[in-house]
Amino acid sequence: MPLDILLVLVVGGIAGITLLLHLTGKSRLCVLTPDVARSEWLRHAPDDTVVDVTVARDAHAALIRTDNGSGLLWSFGADTVARPLLDFDLVEHPRGLEVQFHDFGTPKAIIHLDDLERRHWQHLMEPA
Amino acid sequence: MTDQVTFPDAVQWAVPFFIAAILAEFLWIAVKGRGGRYETRDAVTSLIMGAGNIASGFLLGFIAYAFFMWLWQITPLNLGTSIPVIILCFVLDDFRYYWVHRFGHRIRWVWASHVNHHSSQHYNLTTALRQTWTYTFTFMMVVRAPLILLGFHPAMVLFVGGLNLIYQFWIHTEAIGKMPRWFEAVMNTPSHHRAHHGRNARYLDCNYAGVFIIWDKLFGTFVPEQEDDRVDYGLVHNIGTFNPLRVAFHEWVGIWRDATQPGLTLRQRLAYCFAPPGYSHDGSRDNSDQIKAKHLARHPEDRGTPGFEHFEANQPNTQAKQA
Repeated sequence: MPLDILLVLVVGGIAGITLLLHLTGKSRLCVLTPDVARSEWLRHAPDDTVVDVTVARDAHAALIRTDNGSGLLWSFGADTVARPLLDFDLVEHPRGLEVQFHDFGTPKAIIHLDDLERRHWQHLMEPA
Repeated sequence: MTDQVTFPDAVQWAVPFFIAAILAEFLWIAVKGRGGRYETRDAVTSLIMGAGNIASGFLLGFIAYAFFMWLWQITPLNLGTSIPVIILCFVLDDFRYYWVHRFGHRIRWVWASHVNHHSSQHYNLTTALRQTWTYTFTFMMVVRAPLILLGFHPAMVLFVGGLNLIYQFWIHTEAIGKMPRWFEAVMNTPSHHRAHHGRNARYLDCNYAGVFIIWDKLFGTFVPEQEDDRVDYGLVHNIGTFNPLRVAFHEWVGIWRDATQPGLTLRQRLAYCFAPPGYSHDGSRDNSDQIKAKHLARHPEDRGTPGFEHFEANQPNTQAKQA
């Protein structure tokens, strides 16, 4: 296949499919409730026992306390990603907090929190 | 042997079909309200990975091709390009694919290339295009050497390899439940491949087939999709990025960080490169055997069921051997 035609097909195909998905509402983030957050954490970490769940007001992040320590669960597109809070840096972010994980495949999570929540979450995320 | 043999690049010619089929699957899901899920950034990442795979073929494909042509120069055999030979080449290349794919899940160096294909938590036709950019660096092209030395022309071997990949495109869907029984018995199908993409303990390291599922049945790696254990797609530890560069290289970076940490023996450094994924020198991670053993400790009723047959006679052992 001529390279210029291949290029048009690939670029046009990606752009068209992206536009179609976005315009049909497929860019929505997963919405977390305490029950959803709990079951999603157990999906990621089935060996844990969940002790407590704190969901952010925007419903896109949750702090999970388990018998193995604390962890962060956050919306990742229509799904979620979870990480134990073991090796991380907590950085102030204009919209809340940024958690940096020192992991090339999961570099950071930005949690949207209001001022009151931010202080509470900072307290909860402090190492024991 | 310097005879000129040319075959079309089947994957490139299939690009319009890929786009049309993705649109058709999307419409099917929208109309029926079932049969899969699409998410914008996930799909875009998969599509960019597919485009990058083609680009890496342009940039690095010459390395494998030069190797194959060198083999072609030294082999005294030439089976020609008749239709029966092409069919035989297709079947043998699928056997080759089974083993490369199995190595891709059991050797971390090869997994570093293949992991990106499993990095989506979705399973739709765009997932099929989430392909590696770094296959050349796995050196798995050597597994094709016997085919060429047997007298199959390199261009033909690459052609049937392209057909193999095109076949595997349509099985990345939840829109198709089960195919007819005879087809499910012989061919790789959406059902068999859904199980392969599962991160559930049951489905780890199963169904490596490309086109013919018979290889898995022959070599004991077949696990049928279970109605009572819905497939959960993705990685045991799902990544948290849609950035294609991070998707493409994250496991290579992981190998580097693991193998270069201070205080390890040479054997431990090599194990971080070549042992099955999940190896750790201090036992802080779980490989697939350990994940299955832990699952059985929580769900002993699954002992002996598909995916857990090897644990039938054993007691739960969360200290299962590390590679």
